[in-house]
Amino acid sequence: MPSWKNRWKGCMYLLLKPCKTTAAIEAIPRNRLVLDLDRCEEILKISCTIVANAGIMLIVSDRCEVSIHKDGRLILKTNDTDLAGDQAGRIAGWLEGTEAIQKDRSSGKAGQRSRR
Amino acid sequence: MSKLVCLVSGGIDSPVAAYMMIRRGVEIVAVHMDNRPFTDDKNLEKALHLVRHLQKVTGSPIRTYVVPHGPNHVTFARNCNRHLHCLFCRRMMFRVAERIAEREGAVGILTGESMGQVASQTVQNLTVVTRVAKLPLIRPLIGMDKQDIIGIARKIGTYEISTLPGLCCTIVPKQPSTAAKLTDVTNEEERVDISALVEKSLEGMYVLAPEAL
Repeated sequence: MPSWKNRWKGCMYLLLKPCKTTAAIEAIPRNRLVLDLDRCEEILKISCTIVANAGIMLIVSDRCEVSIHKDGRLILKTNDTDLAGDQAGRIAGWLEGTEAIQKDRSSGKAGQRSRR
Repeated sequence: MSKLVCLVSGGIDSPVAAYMMIRRGVEIVAVHMDNRPFTDDKNLEKALHLVRHLQKVTGSPIRTYVVPHGPNHVTFARNCNRHLHCLFCRRMMFRVAERIAEREGAVGILTGESMGQVASQTVQNLTVVTRVAKLPLIRPLIGMDKQDIIGIARKIGTYEISTLPGLCCTIVPKQPSTAAKLTDVTNEEERVDISALVEKSLEGMYVLAPEAL
């Protein structure tokens, strides 16, 4: 089992599926989220290269390039599922429990755990 | 020989439009608006592959401009109405293409637009987009059925290239306007410095000679 699958247990991401063009892989949050992308940028710039922050979408580069949407969806620009899973797990690890997650729409809870 | 600047996206339609006009004796200068980071590298590769293929099948050399368009997307997304994003995008493409046409001595802009195919190609939206241009816009596919366009693309060998994997533009709004009003679009555009965006796009562009493809 790829190491990222262990990391995904209890992680905020649930599903990885190829985009319709098969040029990228999409990770879907387990619960519907609202992200503060400016805060995400602040947090992620420590570990990733910030490519662009368009307000509605933040694009970062780490092991692959990732578009982070306000609703928490990730578009991972690779067709390697293991790499995408690993990258989504890394993003989740950096963001979970931080104030970048403004609202978890399903539970009404904001990020609560301390930042990793 | 008349010269047109042709917007080449990497999709199915624009290479067909270019092919049709080259066959009518028009010289083409290709312009690819590079949407990265809102697409991926494959789209640029596809666009260049298509131009290379068109050169091969027509025997006509094509000079190609690659223009950074990603920073324009960021500016519009941060400052303007999201529903109108595709219109801002298209109007920027025409502004840049006109400047390249001036430089190249081209007399018009050629596109692969076809009525009703996507949100930006309704009658109302095409009208709004057209109003930004001073040069004639040539749209040889405007009334064609998609299947007919695909038929030509298959015949000339561009279909297989256009349908290679490539990430679609990720900054397209979920609910794009299909019936925009010109005043709404121009009012929104006043929120940003359009001239500066055009200049910045032109500063960042690069040109590939036909033999470099």
